[in-house]
Amino acid sequence: MTNFIQHVVDALSVGSTYALLALGLTLVFSVMNLINFAYGMMLVWSGYIAFFLTDHGVPFGLVVPACIAFATLLSMAIGRVAFRPFIGAPPITLLITSFGVLLVIQYAAIVLFGEEPRILTLPGFFGDVVTVGAIRVPMLEIITIGSAAVVVAVFYAALNRTAFGAQLRAAAELPRVARLMGVRPDHVLMLAFAISGAIAGVVGLLWFAKAGAITPHADLDPTIKAFIALVLGGLGSTRGALIGGFALGALEVALSAMLPDAALGYQPAIVFAAVIAILILRPGGLGAGRLEPAL
Amino acid sequence: VTRPVLRRDHVPGVRGFLAALVGPLLLVGVVTAIAALVYQDDTMTEIVLLFGINAIMVVGFQTFVGNTGLVSFGHVAFMAVGAYATAIVSMDPLDKQIVLKDLPGWLADTSLGVAPSLLVGGAAAAVLALVTGAALMRLSGAAASIATLGLLVITVNVLSQAGRFTHGPRALFGVPDDATFGWVFAALAAAVAISAGFKWSRAGLRARANRDDSVAAESAGIASLRARLLPFVLSAFLTGVGGGLYGMLLTAFSPASFTLSLAVVILTMAILGGVNSITGALAGAVVVTVINEVLRRVENGVDVLGVHLNTPTGMSGAVLGVLLILMLRWRPEGLLSANELQLEAPEPPRDAPAAEPAVPPPAKGARRAGQRV
Repeated sequence: MTNFIQHVVDALSVGSTYALLALGLTLVFSVMNLINFAYGMMLVWSGYIAFFLTDHGVPFGLVVPACIAFATLLSMAIGRVAFRPFIGAPPITLLITSFGVLLVIQYAAIVLFGEEPRILTLPGFFGDVVTVGAIRVPMLEIITIGSAAVVVAVFYAALNRTAFGAQLRAAAELPRVARLMGVRPDHVLMLAFAISGAIAGVVGLLWFAKAGAITPHADLDPTIKAFIALVLGGLGSTRGALIGGFALGALEVALSAMLPDAALGYQPAIVFAAVIAILILRPGGLGAGRLEPAL
Repeated sequence: VTRPVLRRDHVPGVRGFLAALVGPLLLVGVVTAIAALVYQDDTMTEIVLLFGINAIMVVGFQTFVGNTGLVSFGHVAFMAVGAYATAIVSMDPLDKQIVLKDLPGWLADTSLGVAPSLLVGGAAAAVLALVTGAALMRLSGAAASIATLGLLVITVNVLSQAGRFTHGPRALFGVPDDATFGWVFAALAAAVAISAGFKWSRAGLRARANRDDSVAAESAGIASLRARLLPFVLSAFLTGVGGGLYGMLLTAFSPASFTLSLAVVILTMAILGGVNSITGALAGAVVVTVINEVLRRVENGVDVLGVHLNTPTGMSGAVLGVLLILMLRWRPEGLLSANELQLEAPEPPRDAPAAEPAVPPPAKGARRAGQRV
């Protein structure tokens, strides 16, 4: 039983990271059908900024907002320069454009920070372990779940309780009608990129607090996980992103716990095969009730 | 007299079909001749061979992406499978005893020649495409692209775990050094001929009909799955052969050699040249190889007006990224868009006797007979 609860906490922690990743991606996708390959690189940049600031003795309380602000600005700058000219372009063009963006900001990271891994030094309490009865929960998992809860709450409040949120939802649902109502597509796009970047700033810190080392090529893993969570839950809906993220986390933790040692090496392959199988049975993802293939 | 022209579609008829086949092959001939000249320079041999192999891979990639409109990242998986399968059947049995001790007996003793080994590599990739494609090709658009990314992750994971056949995550070495100029460019010519043959076949037309409007194609009796599966398998075969040659060029490789960055290079070549054109695939391969080579020299440091410039490695990636974005912005269809090089006879002048209708106009009596019916 304690083992089971331990696994549930693990799954929640891993799943909330994935859910946040997918949430950041799905917003931009719903506004302009962009699958952003450069998303993981924004996490890496957030990690590098955290590394740079802590290395220069900036207190951690300031590092967090600085990282979020930086990732937000970076995301908006990328959206403005690289993606805004492509409003209305086919999804494949956007996907490949994001590949181009990835190559450029990755090179910038290599030039500034070099290829060698950088270790993020965090305040001591990140390494603590909280013991409740027989269950031992690492502090990092609690922080991860807590931050995810805060981000999701703020996200939903912004989306459902503000004028900006209403514009965003309108543009995602019926772009042409939204435009007729005076919602400017480029403003909405910038807003989506800003929120997406802010989330990337938070996840970047969480991701590299767990992974430890930051390298210019560390973006691939989070990007792939985000994509899988996204299609698993259903492209383009915030509900789908959350469902997909937690489902992927649960699947990974369950397989790690249940697979025999001999098959443990094949865990990534089994996870992906399961995801593809789910997609074939429900092309619209777990979060969607519809039967049409996802875009 | 025939002349080379750029056309989107070929002239109807057998002669038009042949003209459309010969056009890209002619370009391969020109490219091969130039490559042969550059190959004489000892420092360039590796680059020329890599160019030829990349060109095979781009043509293979184009065969799928151009005809179906889906972007695949799984092609790196086909490269990897092709490279491993080719290596396993072509290696010297003595080398296998060192690197792959646990290989089943029948595989341990086999040592095929270059052409059969490459065909085995292509066939292995084609089988993987057939098995996975039956599932993957049901998806469309972004979901399909992401699922093919999953195929890449699965393949690399399995290759690094199946140590009995692949030497696991460690390097597989002792692969015969058979990626010679002759084999590479012969394979390129064959790949272009196969790809062009498919493009102008009925199956190719069905695939493009499905790409342009899948609902209309379905209602005309073209099953989406079958229309996409054939180009997927064919393109996996070509990519597998390219991967086999790549393995023979490297002679030692590991699952980590097959990363997404290979896909980026292939994708950039295909997009720059024009993803809907085989001629474009070749053109893109040439352009990107030349740019990469120039940048590589800059990375090694160049003297500009007496100042020694040195840039960190990886710049070619950034330049390719910018090129990709600019190309998509200003010429989204690529350099050649959907045009193909074709060899075609000039159309006969209108007033020439051959242009006259073969059937003479009906005589007065015949017209009267017609009125009676």
